[in-house]
Formats: sequence, C-alpha cells, structure tokens
Amino acid sequence: MLLRASSEVRGEEVDLRVLTEPELAAASGVAHAGALIALADAMVGEDDEALAQARQRVIAELGPGGLVDAVAVASHFERMVRIADATGIPLDDPVEIMTSDVRHSLGIDRFTAAANTPPGGFLRRAFTPILRILLGLALRFIGARGIGRR
Amino acid sequence: MISYDSACVPVRADLVAAHRKEWARLARPGTWWTGTERLAIAREVREAARCEICRVRKASLSPYSVPGEHSGNGVLPATAVEVVHRVTTDPGRLKREWFDEIMGWGLSEGQYVEAIGVLVTVFSIDSFCRGMGVPPHSFPAPEPGAPSRYRPAAARMEKAWVPMLPNGRFAGPERDLWGDMPAGQTGNVIRALSLVPDEVRGLKELGAAHYLPLVEMMNLKDSPRSLDRMQIELVAGRVSALRGCFY
Repeated sequence: MLLRASSEVRGEEVDLRVLTEPELAAASGVAHAGALIALADAMVGEDDEALAQARQRVIAELGPGGLVDAVAVASHFERMVRIADATGIPLDDPVEIMTSDVRHSLGIDRFTAAANTPPGGFLRRAFTPILRILLGLALRFIGARGIGRR
Repeated sequence: MISYDSACVPVRADLVAAHRKEWARLARPGTWWTGTERLAIAREVREAARCEICRVRKASLSPYSVPGEHSGNGVLPATAVEVVHRVTTDPGRLKREWFDEIMGWGLSEGQYVEAIGVLVTVFSIDSFCRGMGVPPHSFPAPEPGAPSRYRPAAARMEKAWVPMLPNGRFAGPERDLWGDMPAGQTGNVIRALSLVPDEVRGLKELGAAHYLPLVEMMNLKDSPRSLDRMQIELVAGRVSALRGCFY
C-alpha cells in the first residue's frame, strides 16, 4: 500500500507486479529496482555468494548509504512479517479496503495468513470501491504533507 | 560491544546505537522471562537455522504433517523451542490451530508475546549483519533478577491471537507507546506485541533506525534516508512477499 501511495504522492507510476514478478524491475517505475530486489531476494535466501554480488551491485548503483539503508529495511521487515504472522493480526480496516484490488491480482490473498482477515459483510464489500477511492485521496493528502510529523 | 567497524561500508551511528541498546536488553530480566531465558530464546533463533526437523518441515507441503522434535539448547521448555523455531524458519504458514495448540501446552500469552519480541530482535539484527557481510554478534552475559510479570490493565482480546492494547491515548505507563501518533492511532503490527509493552518500545527503537520513526511513517513525500520512499517500500514489499506475509 505504501509503495503505491508514495509513488502517487510523487506523481509517478509504479507497477506493483514487481513485488511478485522481479523480472519486471527495469520497467517498474522505481529507480534501481533490479539492484534492490536482488538484495532483498539474497537476504531472504541462503546463498552467501548471491548476497555478496547483490551487495556490490547496490553499492555501485546507490552508494554505501544505499546499501546500509536497503539492508536495514530488509532486516526490519524480516522482523515485521514474523510479528504479524505469529500474532495473527488482521489487516487494519483502511489497509484492507485500500489493498483489496491488488491483493487478488498479486496473489497475496492466497497466503496462509489471509485467514486472519475475514472478508467483510455485504455492505462493506459493496462500498469498498468507493471507500478505496476516498481513502486513497486521504492517504495522498496526509502523505504529501507529512501529517503527524514532529 | 557491538561494532560494525569491519563492515564494507560505514554504518549509520543511529543503527549502531539502537543495536547496542537492544542487544543489551536481551540479557536483562524481561516481563515474563529471566535474562538467562531471554538469551536462551536468542540462541534458539540461531539454532533453528541448523535444526533438521525445521529444514524438513520447511520443505514439506504442510509443516503440520511432519512429526519430530527440534534440536534445542536444553534451557527452554519444548513449547517455547517450538515457537522460536517455527516462527523463525517458516512464519508464512503459521495457523490459528497451531497457536491454540501451543497455548494448550502451557505457555502463557505473556511468555509467548515476549518470546516473539526477543526472537524478532535477534533475527533482524542477525539479518542486518548478514546483509552487511559481518559475523553475527556474540551474546552478552545474562543479568540476574526476576521478570516483572507486568500485564497492562487495558490489554484485551480483539481479532488477533493475543491480547493487545487498544488504539487511543493512554494516561498511564503505556502513554509513550503510540501516544505521539495522530489521534493516538497506530497499526495492528505495532500493537501486536503490546501485551508486553517493553517489546513495543524495543520495536519502535529499532524500527526508527532500520526503517522510519513512527511519526514519519505517513510522510510519503520526503525520505530521511539515502533511498527514496518508493525504494524503501519496494524492499519492504519484496521481503514481505517472499515471506508470504499477508499483512
């Protein structure tokens, strides 16, 4: 959700399929997506040689700071996925509404933990397309102004 | 003491400071586990990578069809070892039935939540080390003392498997958790460990250095990092997808 929202705030278009189809990296709309995805894949994987190559590619394309940030984010989400999956939390309501379209197209609805977010009732499903538009506008408004920042 | 002097590139000082603080906290008595037990949980995170039964289950169509016992360090009850190994090695296929069975074996909700907090702290810092090409850090010596057994009064069951503190601003000792967020609202993944408030504090501390401070989360325009926000979210989304994380 935040990848799509951040691209919209910046007035850029991103192909979300890159999250599950890394071969689309070059045309994804995210700068240096290929290097970043190779690093994420290598960090989740177990091939140390692939990780060493991915590390060097990120340094070459994004610099030393880019490597530190990418490794830090990947390792942070190794933490967050385990918290979410081990506690059985459902999607937050706004996220559930805003991602209802892409969850199906990306195949995320097939993940085991999807069972922790039961489908809404008839009214909820009927109004989801409208709510998605309204929430998307609200998120872009908030995100563009950094509301909540200190 | 934790250092990244051997890394191939300089590591931000805020990351080093956060890692040192959280690594030291591993050794202190927690809320439901002693310092010795917290470090045993930490060691099991690494043991899980070498565990044969975890390897076989991970490769199986269903992890629930493979009986057997984990290799363990002998300090923790078998239930806690099962939790640490399963969540470490195969988080994307955890089911409510598995959780209910674990609880039926005698682990308390507080012990479970704190074990997850310790597990993810170790896993994320070990993962950072591997990503940077440096060896994992040595564990500190355990500090003596008893767990506090503190349970926040406002924690309640919602739709998750474990009790959580509700959204909103608190007047009591938990006011620091997400009271600085607009309207005191935060995501379920932040609230998930709130039955043990210190684990949320640790999560915020590390999250601010690894990803973004909570109050910066909804600032989608600017990035305080070398990567822009789209690049940050690409890495986040790709790791989540690879791990089969619905959230």
